Amino acid sequence: MPPVSAPSLAVEAREVTKTFRSGWLRRRETVALRGATLSVERGTIFGLLGPNGAGKTTLLSILATLLTPDGGQVRVLGHDVVHEAARLRHRLNMASGRPSFLWSLRVDEIVSFYGRLYGLHGQALRRRVDGLIDQYELGPYRRAQYNELSTGIKQRVALAKALVNDPELLFLDEPTLGLDPDVSVRVRQHIAALRRERGMTIVLTTHYMREAEELCDEIGFIKAGRILAHGTADGLKRQIGLGDVIALKLDVKPVWLAEASGVLRCVEVDGWIECTVDDAEKRVPELLRAFAAEGVEVRNLQVREPELEEVFVELAR
Amino acid sequence: MSWRAEVLAAWAVVVRNALMGMRNVFFFFELLFWPVVGVLSIGLMTRFLGLTPEQGTFVLVGTIALSVINVCQLEVAYAMLLDVWSKSVKHQFMAPIGVRHLTAGAWLVGMLRGFLIFVLLSVMGAWVFGLNVLAAGPGPVAVFLLGCFLTAWVVGVAVCALITLFGNRAEAFAWASVNMVLVLAGIYYPTSVLPRPVAAIADAIPLTYFLDAYRAHFGFPSEFTAPITTGLALSAVYAVLAHWAFYAAVQRARQTGLLLKMSE
Repeated sequence: MPPVSAPSLAVEAREVTKTFRSGWLRRRETVALRGATLSVERGTIFGLLGPNGAGKTTLLSILATLLTPDGGQVRVLGHDVVHEAARLRHRLNMASGRPSFLWSLRVDEIVSFYGRLYGLHGQALRRRVDGLIDQYELGPYRRAQYNELSTGIKQRVALAKALVNDPELLFLDEPTLGLDPDVSVRVRQHIAALRRERGMTIVLTTHYMREAEELCDEIGFIKAGRILAHGTADGLKRQIGLGDVIALKLDVKPVWLAEASGVLRCVEVDGWIECTVDDAEKRVPELLRAFAAEGVEVRNLQVREPELEEVFVELAR
Repeated sequence: MSWRAEVLAAWAVVVRNALMGMRNVFFFFELLFWPVVGVLSIGLMTRFLGLTPEQGTFVLVGTIALSVINVCQLEVAYAMLLDVWSKSVKHQFMAPIGVRHLTAGAWLVGMLRGFLIFVLLSVMGAWVFGLNVLAAGPGPVAVFLLGCFLTAWVVGVAVCALITLFGNRAEAFAWASVNMVLVLAGIYYPTSVLPRPVAAIADAIPLTYFLDAYRAHFGFPSEFTAPITTGLALSAVYAVLAHWAFYAAVQRARQTGLLLKMSE
């Protein structure tokens, strides 16, 4: 008997496997997922992080019914993604980082086309299209053909298209890929507003740690087709046990610093010496006493948790 | 799916294909340039060869059928090709629609374009070569056009299946496959001139029967009994098979990942 999803879960995937096969004479196999397991609570933003080729897009595509898994069980919004895909598709949508639509269609025609595919028509369709065009500030580009738009505007069109059916679950594949920083900030604001104002569940993949930290309630690290870690950003930092980072500005770097008790590693970054220690509360006084004893002048000192990027590097190693 | 949702999904494809058709120059060439060139060159060749008016009519009817089917079939193939070219395939198949909506919507636009071609070439045929395609009466003309459109639909859907199964590599089928069908169906000659094994293949093509029935109205003896019924029955069988093949190809593309490879 298939597992029944808890009502609070938007996504429940267990031991999902997927292998791509290619070639006629010399068959090649690429294992994309090797038993990926994850769950996503309704009304949350979930970030899927991992190095290139880790299986992020494959997993996202399976959840979005675009790919069928080879093995495992996947339920999305309570539906089996293989056997109940047709019913599920009404409730999902997706936008990608490098969106592509028919080159000659105008912005409002693209949104209208997909709106009709989701059963909208007449006044309701016009209102929805107008609303999305306003929401994503696409008014000036409404009658522009898709191939005339900049990357940032195309991304906004993709988001407008992805919301045309007011989905309960939205998949975003690298939503800010290749965008200028100011455009990225606005796209992130839009994504955050979707969860805040509509209670939408969002599953996104990203390479940008700051984006994941800023947007996501929970993060899953995927590598070589497996979810290696899963939790909040702070929880992951604790879970990985990277310790704390003490950033120092010294007049001279003592040779013993990297070997000092409790110091796991030391690196120099932009004039700062960043020492990762097992416990900052214990090691800061010890280091300060040692510096004073050697006459080393401490010009600045900061203590911080490790960045998500450092967690990523540790996990991807 | 409610009937309204069914109609809307097909209508979405109608609007999309019609808009693309109005905005791209290659559609103009398909709709006007090649059909006009085809009828003019074949018509002039019939004069050069000194064919009788009946023989000229036989050949020109085939030429008009070729253009009508070609344009309508390409439009059906555009149900997939437009998204393959723009790398937006996944958005189409993530929406809650079936292959029937794609093929029905594209076919409607194809029939409209095919009808325009038929009117244009008929007027030109009458004006330049004295060919009166309406001489058979509106009923036979309507059946002939229906036969052309059904053939185009079947071939177009089969092309969609091939593109979904093999990706961009199968694009050439969109232009090649219909010509193969037309050669076998005897557009410029009766199928009785074909070698026996090839004629057997021709007998399995619906268009063979619709051409035969239409030409009978211009004084050419029919080679088949009940050609219209046979043509319609064959079309129905092939339409079901082609749609099954297209559906199976989409399912396979979801399995192999080709649906994603054909997307952004």
